[in-house]
Amino acid sequence: MADQEQIHHPVEHQVEVDRPHLLPIYTNAFDRVFISIVLLVAIHLLWMRFLEAYLPLEIATIISLVVGYIIIRRG
Amino acid sequence: MRKTRTGWLLLAPSMIILFVVGIVPFIYVLYVGFFDWNLFSASREMNFTGVDNYRQLVFDPLFLDALWVTIRFTFFAVVSQLIIGFFLAQMLLRDFPGKSFFRTIHTIPLMIAPIAIGAIWRLLTIPGFGPVPFLLDRWFDFDFNIGTNASQAFLAIVIMDIWHWTPFVTLTMLAGLSALPVEPREAALVDGANGWQVFRYITLPQMQPVVLTVLFIRIMDGLRTVDEINMLTNGGGPGTSTRTVGIHIFRVVFPQTDYGYGSAMSLLTLYLTIVACWFLFVSLTQVRRR
Repeated sequence: MADQEQIHHPVEHQVEVDRPHLLPIYTNAFDRVFISIVLLVAIHLLWMRFLEAYLPLEIATIISLVVGYIIIRRG
Repeated sequence: MRKTRTGWLLLAPSMIILFVVGIVPFIYVLYVGFFDWNLFSASREMNFTGVDNYRQLVFDPLFLDALWVTIRFTFFAVVSQLIIGFFLAQMLLRDFPGKSFFRTIHTIPLMIAPIAIGAIWRLLTIPGFGPVPFLLDRWFDFDFNIGTNASQAFLAIVIMDIWHWTPFVTLTMLAGLSALPVEPREAALVDGANGWQVFRYITLPQMQPVVLTVLFIRIMDGLRTVDEINMLTNGGGPGTSTRTVGIHIFRVVFPQTDYGYGSAMSLLTLYLTIVACWFLFVSLTQVRRR
């Protein structure tokens, strides 16, 4: 009975959509996490050096987290 | 399942050792980098300061100057070593009289401790005493003084590092060149390729993994060189012209006992080393997206 139900259900295929990528190289999940951490550190250091006198460091943290999320999701 | 468990059991000792000697000190340095900690102060306590050490770091002219010296030193030394090492390896592939003797003599600097290398070069270049300034003055009327001339001191540390580490590059390249298959080279020669074309399109692409390995090892070594430069130029002199990051960290951590700031500097150096190697690796090996 259960087999018959499965037969009647339509088969669902996972279609891989070729979304536009941000990075110019092929990456795996580890690469993307690594790039996000590297960017997080770089953004904070550069922010402290050049922008912290005008804007608080928390903005750099938010920007880094957003950039990291985008890279991990769509790298 | 049983096989997997046995595999993990066999791997466990190495992983535990790696964790204890690699990961734990790294986490500890990361932790200390967020504190103001002077072991010889009245309180001896670790005061949490957040990112203050890093904030101080990006404005510290001595650290930034040391970083620039280190980058220049590593660039000139590693590029020279790769070029000289590659040509020496090519030379050692061929037979010539005294080849074994030359190979033995050429490898000697590798066996000497870096601090002894620094001492040897100090004796060679010390003004008024060493044979190098004496002969340069006698033959070319050239005043060579690493005690007062910053450019000459920088040149001396680069030449010393090239002398010390080129044999390592040569031996590694020689192993790589000896292991290359001869068929592609012979086929190219039959097809009419000249020496340069064989080198550029056959030898160099085949040698890429070896060149990359040597490059990474030498960049990592170059960025953390301390002892031989400290010995040769007496702590990075004249002034701060040869003070590398390693020497700077040493001078901050030990005489000033500023462990928090020293940890922050060490971490930033590690960060730059990893990023430099990663960029190099990606740019030389990764396939670009269309």
